[in-house]
Amino acid sequence: MASPERRILLGTVLAVLLAAALLIAPAGLAERPFELRMLTMLFLYAVLAHGWNILGGYAGQTSLGHGLFFGVGAYVSTLLVIKLGLSPWLGVVAAAVTAAALGVLIGIPCFRLKGHYFVIATLVVAESAYQLFGGWDWVGGAIGLQLPIGQEGLRNFQFHRDKVAYYYIALAMLVLVTTAVWFMQRSRFGFILRAIRDDEEAVRSLGFSTLYYKLAAMALSAGLVGICGVFYAQYVLFIDPHSVLSLSLSVLMALIVILGGAGTVAGPILGAAILLPLSEYSRVIFSGSGRNVDLLIYGLMIMVIAVYRPDGLMSLFSSPGWTRLARRMGLLPAVPPSRTNADQWKDN
Amino acid sequence: MSEQLLLQLILSGLGMGFIFALVAIGLTLIYGVMDVVNFAHGEFLMIAMYASYLSYRTWGLDPLVTLPFIAVAMFIFGVFVYYVLIRRVMGAKMNAQVFASFGLMVFLQALAQFVMGADYFAIPNSLLSGVVNIGSVILPVPQLAAIVGSSIATALLYWLVFRTRTGRTLRAAAQDRQAAATLGINVDLMYALAWGIGAACVGVAGSLLSNFYSVFPRVGAIFVLLAYVVVALGGFGSIHGALVAGILIGLLQVFAGFFISSELKFVPVYLLYLLVVLVRPRGLFGRI
Amino acid sequence: MLINRITKTLLTLVMAWCAHSAMAADPVRIGALYPLSGQVAKSGEDTLNGIRLAIDIVNNRIPDLQLPFATGEGLPGLGNAKIELIAADHQGSPEIGAAEAERLIVQRKVAALIGAFHSSVAATSSQVAERLGVPYISGESEATNLTARGFKWFFRTTPTTRTQVRDFFLFLRDINKGSPNPIRTFAVVNENTLWGKEFSQSVQSYAAEFPEFKEVLNITYQQGTPDVSSEVQRLIAAKPDVVMHASYDAEAILFARTYKQYNFVPRGIMAIGAAFGSGAFRNALGPDANYFLVRDHWSRDLGAKMPVVAQVAKRYRDRYGRDMDGTAARAFTAMMTLADAINRAGSTDPGKIRDALAATNLPADKLIMPWNGIKFDQTGQNTLTSAIFIQIQNREPKMVWPADKATVPVVWPRPAWQK
Repeated sequence: MASPERRILLGTVLAVLLAAALLIAPAGLAERPFELRMLTMLFLYAVLAHGWNILGGYAGQTSLGHGLFFGVGAYVSTLLVIKLGLSPWLGVVAAAVTAAALGVLIGIPCFRLKGHYFVIATLVVAESAYQLFGGWDWVGGAIGLQLPIGQEGLRNFQFHRDKVAYYYIALAMLVLVTTAVWFMQRSRFGFILRAIRDDEEAVRSLGFSTLYYKLAAMALSAGLVGICGVFYAQYVLFIDPHSVLSLSLSVLMALIVILGGAGTVAGPILGAAILLPLSEYSRVIFSGSGRNVDLLIYGLMIMVIAVYRPDGLMSLFSSPGWTRLARRMGLLPAVPPSRTNADQWKDN
Repeated sequence: MSEQLLLQLILSGLGMGFIFALVAIGLTLIYGVMDVVNFAHGEFLMIAMYASYLSYRTWGLDPLVTLPFIAVAMFIFGVFVYYVLIRRVMGAKMNAQVFASFGLMVFLQALAQFVMGADYFAIPNSLLSGVVNIGSVILPVPQLAAIVGSSIATALLYWLVFRTRTGRTLRAAAQDRQAAATLGINVDLMYALAWGIGAACVGVAGSLLSNFYSVFPRVGAIFVLLAYVVVALGGFGSIHGALVAGILIGLLQVFAGFFISSELKFVPVYLLYLLVVLVRPRGLFGRI
Repeated sequence: MLINRITKTLLTLVMAWCAHSAMAADPVRIGALYPLSGQVAKSGEDTLNGIRLAIDIVNNRIPDLQLPFATGEGLPGLGNAKIELIAADHQGSPEIGAAEAERLIVQRKVAALIGAFHSSVAATSSQVAERLGVPYISGESEATNLTARGFKWFFRTTPTTRTQVRDFFLFLRDINKGSPNPIRTFAVVNENTLWGKEFSQSVQSYAAEFPEFKEVLNITYQQGTPDVSSEVQRLIAAKPDVVMHASYDAEAILFARTYKQYNFVPRGIMAIGAAFGSGAFRNALGPDANYFLVRDHWSRDLGAKMPVVAQVAKRYRDRYGRDMDGTAARAFTAMMTLADAINRAGSTDPGKIRDALAATNLPADKLIMPWNGIKFDQTGQNTLTSAIFIQIQNREPKMVWPADKATVPVVWPRPAWQK
């Protein structure tokens, strides 16, 4: 067995190589917009997944309505750009704040629900929003909103000739968010979130206001997802309820995290790295038959993961050596959740 | 607004409400017994509708005739799904349970499109078509059948759950799995039974629906969200709760659609749901 | 020796291949963007088949077909170069449509794009084409604003939703001629996505031009609704003379059934789009499908007076096993228009193709559509389109309007529902 020190060295070398590859990749992909776009989307979805993971993975509150915050972020920023001519970067701030506030507003009543009840509540809220936006002409209704084509550049957050800038922005977002999540889950806040996930009663009995922590997680989660919505709006320059408020987006966010490993730092990235290429290439390969083969595979895959690897692919790295290493590097929680005697009797 | 119009709206609302209730009853039973939401419930409905349509197309059998057979077939299907999939996630985290039935939903929808294509199919002129005239008010026969069918199904279910030995065993397993096991109750079998009965109920709903609604791969999605709302509003695990909530929602959407807006007629329904959740998280009638 | 013989044979083969390649010019690559998976996959495939049929006619020798390029092989203006189709699936997503458009242009080097069925996807994908300077032609995306963006590279052969709505009023005016009891009021029932909403907005925009008709009710319903009782009750209360519908398949069937259940009989029910005339609708409703009117773009009945229509419809049926419909016919026409332009341009240079498209002037007898021709205005919109109305009679769609194309007289007003 290789010693921990050698493993760390190997890991670091690999990480540096990967970073270098990611940084220079666009140069090699100049004539391949398909791959460039796929990587950009991969980074974006990884950030989305990080966002969902804060509430769903660390705090243990499974939401299937997070697409709402993506859409709200996209709409708030786009409306500010269209109606008031503001900069999309201001839109980013507004989107984050609005989404976070909305998340808290929804959380206050909904966090009283547990388990499946909560999941359904999130579904209902998201569906209502979808219908409301579709029927609301001021925000474009079903027709959607088209962003004005401006001069390209960082200032307008628009790039037309060359999509490489989007790639780097998305990559930078991913690096920033991953680092932030890494710090968060090592902090006291992260620890309490995980405790709430594992045994909310116990945490409350210790005197903590679990509602406060859940709302905080929701605010962070929603705000982050909202920012991703702005990125999407500036990338496609067109939004409508179908593209930014759909259920499939909510499900995809959750699925990526569950696939990769909920409650881990690398899980969202791993999940996105597998799911995105899978869906893109399966579309290119299977398209034209109208037979939905890719969705068939999707469904099967979800079921298989649920049954055999509910902890996600990160659990594949669960041999003691890897686990110790991961703890040392901060990728896994420093202290494993403790199991009391009573846990044996719970079905969870 | 005339009396006749009011009466007409009420009757239309009741008709749809009973259908919503019937779809939801199976869902609430499964949840009541085992704390698991079947996210593929809409697809069970879709399968029942396809079965009804295909029996009509292949053998010329009217949906009313095939109804009992579809109920039995769906029962078997429900048990099958339990043993093959759900059983394996019963001890797992909630996420795993949610995604197990969610994956089933995606799979079944895709399978339907794969096998049958995305086309819309509808049964022309079934036995249960036409209308019943009550004075100057009209009640379409399929809705009448739904009212009758739902009432019978609810009554039957009640009798089963509260008046038979099997029902008692079911309730015991629902209340306290461990204790029931120590008493020698085969909890596994009870769970399978719950899934079977739940599937049979939604199978009856699908069979009745196929009299007047088109079947296509996504038809389940249209009814299932409403079914969740009905169950959550009525109280998870409460059969009469599902009935009351279904009727309430049926009436609400007809009146909202008439007086406020067709486009947003379900928004008051969702708002009602959120209000009840805020005030009384367990729903109107709580547990079984 | 054996080696010698093998070498000679190989050499001969290579020379023959070179000679053949030198004779045939490089194919012209055209990119097609359509939804080929998901709910509308079937329609997407049918529409794409219209394009494939057009390319097949251009590329191959079909002696007795009186359409451009049919009697030859390939495009004469480019040394008999054949057209090569590269299809891409956009899954109904504007974002994927844009990405695929870019991939087709940059990676597959197509000379022009054709698409996209969904107007929202046509919007974003044509934006990419505009940016990269590649001609984009749409045969079936109807959203009015597509030609209101000031684009130079976008061309559209199909009439917009707004243009189509005008035909509803023209039809009603014809019905009113000499009638002692003219139509005065109408109701609009539309689904709540882009297409339906644009329909209702377009109807309202004609209020000034057709002041004799008054809208008494506009119902926008949610697509995918389980029940339309409240909608029909509102219609009954409003008592319109005529109802104008913009619905897709499932709700078309649901509305028709609910109308019968509540015995709602306006004098006429007119619809835009394919749903109320489709096979699914007629199969589901049986004799109750009769008397619905649909504003259509094309009908197989046209074959009685236009032989090319019958020939092309038959070819389509033989090859693809399904009947050609108005959308496939429009896509066919758009592809033929594009082929004609490329031929006149004499090159695969996008700029030359674009200029050739702008100068297009195809006469009516070169088309399978009941149009007056194809000529684009400065926004890229074809201004020579015209409509037909079909009515379901004896469970079959029959052309009833305009008078010069009608095969049977229109049945008006609607009779009561059959018991």
